[in-house]
Amino acid sequence: MTITAAIAAELRDVTREYGLGNARVRALDGVSLAFPAGSWTAVMGPSGSGKSTLLHCAAGLDRVTGGRVFLAGREVTGAPDRVLTDLRRRTMGFVFQNFNLIGSLTAEQNVALPLRLARTRVARADVRAVLAAVGLGDRLRHRPRELSGGQQQRVAIARAMVTRPAVLFADEPTGALDSASARTVLALLREMVDRDGQSIAMVTHDPAAAAWADAVVFLSDGRLVDRLVRPSAREVAERLATLEAAPC
Amino acid sequence: MLTLALSTFRDRWRLFAGAIVAVALGVAIVQSSLLVMVATDRAPIPPGTTGRAREELQEGYAGAATLLGMTVLLSAFLTVFIVSSTFAFTVAQRRRDLALLRIVGGGRRQLVLLLLAEAVLLGLLGAALGVLAGLPAAWAQARLLIALGFLPGGFAPVWDSGVLAASFCVGIGVSLAGVLTAARRAASVRPLEALRETGGAARVMTPARWLSGLTALALTVWMVTLAQSAELLGAMMMALGISITGAIALSALSPLAVPLAGRALGVLLRAGPLGDLAQANLRDGVRRSASTAAPLIVLVALLLGLSGTLGSLALLTGEEQRRLVAGDLVVTSPGAAAADKVATMPGVAAASPELPVPMSVTVRHHEEGRSWRRTHYAGIIAIDAASYRRTHHLRLRAGSLARLHGRTIALGPGMAGEGIRLGSTVTAEIGGHRVRLKVVAALRETLENYSETFLVPRDLIPAAALAEAKTHTVVQIAPGASTTTVRAAIGAARLGKVQTIDQWADDRIAVQQRGNIGILAVLMGMAGGYAAVAVINAVLIAGTERRAEFATARVTGLTRPQVVRAALIESWAVTSIGLVLGCAVAAGALSGMLAASLHATGRPLVAVPWTLLAGITVTAYAVTGITSICATLAATRPPPVTLLSSHD
Repeated sequence: MTITAAIAAELRDVTREYGLGNARVRALDGVSLAFPAGSWTAVMGPSGSGKSTLLHCAAGLDRVTGGRVFLAGREVTGAPDRVLTDLRRRTMGFVFQNFNLIGSLTAEQNVALPLRLARTRVARADVRAVLAAVGLGDRLRHRPRELSGGQQQRVAIARAMVTRPAVLFADEPTGALDSASARTVLALLREMVDRDGQSIAMVTHDPAAAAWADAVVFLSDGRLVDRLVRPSAREVAERLATLEAAPC
Repeated sequence: MLTLALSTFRDRWRLFAGAIVAVALGVAIVQSSLLVMVATDRAPIPPGTTGRAREELQEGYAGAATLLGMTVLLSAFLTVFIVSSTFAFTVAQRRRDLALLRIVGGGRRQLVLLLLAEAVLLGLLGAALGVLAGLPAAWAQARLLIALGFLPGGFAPVWDSGVLAASFCVGIGVSLAGVLTAARRAASVRPLEALRETGGAARVMTPARWLSGLTALALTVWMVTLAQSAELLGAMMMALGISITGAIALSALSPLAVPLAGRALGVLLRAGPLGDLAQANLRDGVRRSASTAAPLIVLVALLLGLSGTLGSLALLTGEEQRRLVAGDLVVTSPGAAAADKVATMPGVAAASPELPVPMSVTVRHHEEGRSWRRTHYAGIIAIDAASYRRTHHLRLRAGSLARLHGRTIALGPGMAGEGIRLGSTVTAEIGGHRVRLKVVAALRETLENYSETFLVPRDLIPAAALAEAKTHTVVQIAPGASTTTVRAAIGAARLGKVQTIDQWADDRIAVQQRGNIGILAVLMGMAGGYAAVAVINAVLIAGTERRAEFATARVTGLTRPQVVRAALIESWAVTSIGLVLGCAVAAGALSGMLAASLHATGRPLVAVPWTLLAGITVTAYAVTGITSICATLAATRPPPVTLLSSHD
């Protein structure tokens, strides 16, 4: 399995269905997709195309109905909670649209939290270095409500990166940000990929955000329909527009 | 975990305020009860106390200990109830936060630990407040017990530092007991829930809740059917059981019962758009409605059930006393001389004086293979067997009162269950002389608490000992004579206070009831306080939880006063439901008493505590109404747009 070493996360023929009987919905329909290591992959698609479900399944947060899921070379399909918890501690990082910081903790405490949950010795210098790397070295003691949206998202990225995860999952990371803050955050992610070889899997519906990625895959009605490498924002937007215009 | 628990606590103290108050209340009550108990244990019996006084003192201490024990149990139960409902609420409210912890690497056990740490903090804080509050509470409790006649005047609680350890253990113990269910629930939060805006709303009816609710309901139904054919004592026990299990059943099943009752109320609420909204919210916010209704159900069921049962028992006791006496009047005289003149009044066919005797009787009790000697002082009366038999419908267990002459004694109803053998001899001490008396008769037990212990023949007692005895004389009017005339004549002759049998029986029951009512008042006041804390807590938490919902309503076109009114209608509807369901449980409890009284006397002797019900109803509406208005006003203070645009 030498190939998997170069693949951060992989879905093989994954199917995910919700509901029963007439209400049955197939959110993912036989998706096979690999997120290469050291690369940034964006997942795009119209609303309800299954892109969030794809991210959840890839991260082992949601159970798949059929198919197999691998994370950093380990199979996570049907893995017990203990194994998944361990993976979340060491192998994965998460960034969300609405930041999801813990409101009662300071920026520094938020970033240190995953380490403390993993019962790893917390070196203050490391935590500060990670916060400094996202440009918030002077905001250590601020609580989330005292920070702007862009700053909160950068704290969230620092929290995700502090455990040096093999893959970073980002769910609409710029969805709640103004365009200037969004650019700062995307530039930060780009730098992490280029400088440190970080793997990123990102779901977005913003063509401008997707254009920062190395590759963009398109999802429609739970199926992979296209893949663009290093596209421009215009190309992504046009591709998306044709998908959304397609008859249902 | 501790940092996180601390910071959660600091951030969400409002959520925990009610639980802290409950723990503080519980700790204060437990601590003060312990201190009073320690003090009764250490209180020396003053030298030179007569046997009679010592017996009274010991009985008082025993009564106080019973009351304190009941208080401690009830407050522990209610504290755990409030803490657990608070934590259930906070876990439901913090699902996203908990899921987030899971996503950044928190394990299930760590979530459980987090909640346990929060519970310990809550327990410590509550216990610290409770220890302080316990000091004045011990003093107040001692005063109360003195006022109720359980403790001698001048009794003061002592301080024992050992109680501190107990207080903190109780505080932390009840908090941990309260958090267990919530912790289990928190452990089942899935990490994915952090990513969903709405989240898979937690099921309110968990399997554990179904199980406990249905078991309690089945038990309640079974007891209600059983109580219909039970004897009085069984019906009483059943009534208490029904109050408890019924309250547990309906509060566990309240997420089902409340919307159901809400639908029934819907016809009333459908009057306008606000009523419509309130009814829809009632059905939708099942957890919220249930957590307001549950404490009310428990309170109403327990209080009405308990006081109704005791009240009915008093009615039955009065009825029994009336039936035991075959007379028309009772004269209460200040001494034997006046009492003896009653028999000589014109129109009196028979008069039977019952004179309390200052003497002691030492007997041997036999019970379950054990036997011991004990000296009794209270409730010993001297009678004339012939007139006593004429004026009473005697119910004898064994022997015959015809033999009560000379050196003999009969066992009164108060000694019926004490295992004293007929034909045995007892040692009596009358005016410094010891005599041995033979037990010749035993009366059946009555419902009365402090009834006569021994009956001795009048001829045994020196007249001097009876000169100042407060005597009751049962009078039978001769056929043809007018009761009114005889009554007036006895009154005019200044032989004592004259009462009809009904009046006398009512008085006699009132004396007995005074102790019960005192005990009940203490317990009810306490339970009421807890219920108020729980209800206010639920309404306040719900109010703050609903800021976004209220904002949406205002954006849709409701004015602030309309939002406040809709919320008020909703909480009053929930209050009504809680009261009605509580009454249903109490009715079940009292149905057994009704059946038993019909069975025993042919009359429906059930005391429905209407005044108490009215009091609870008014207070409940006032408390939920004021709290709801305050909470809604506070939640709608910021302009709605600010609440809708921001996340969290």
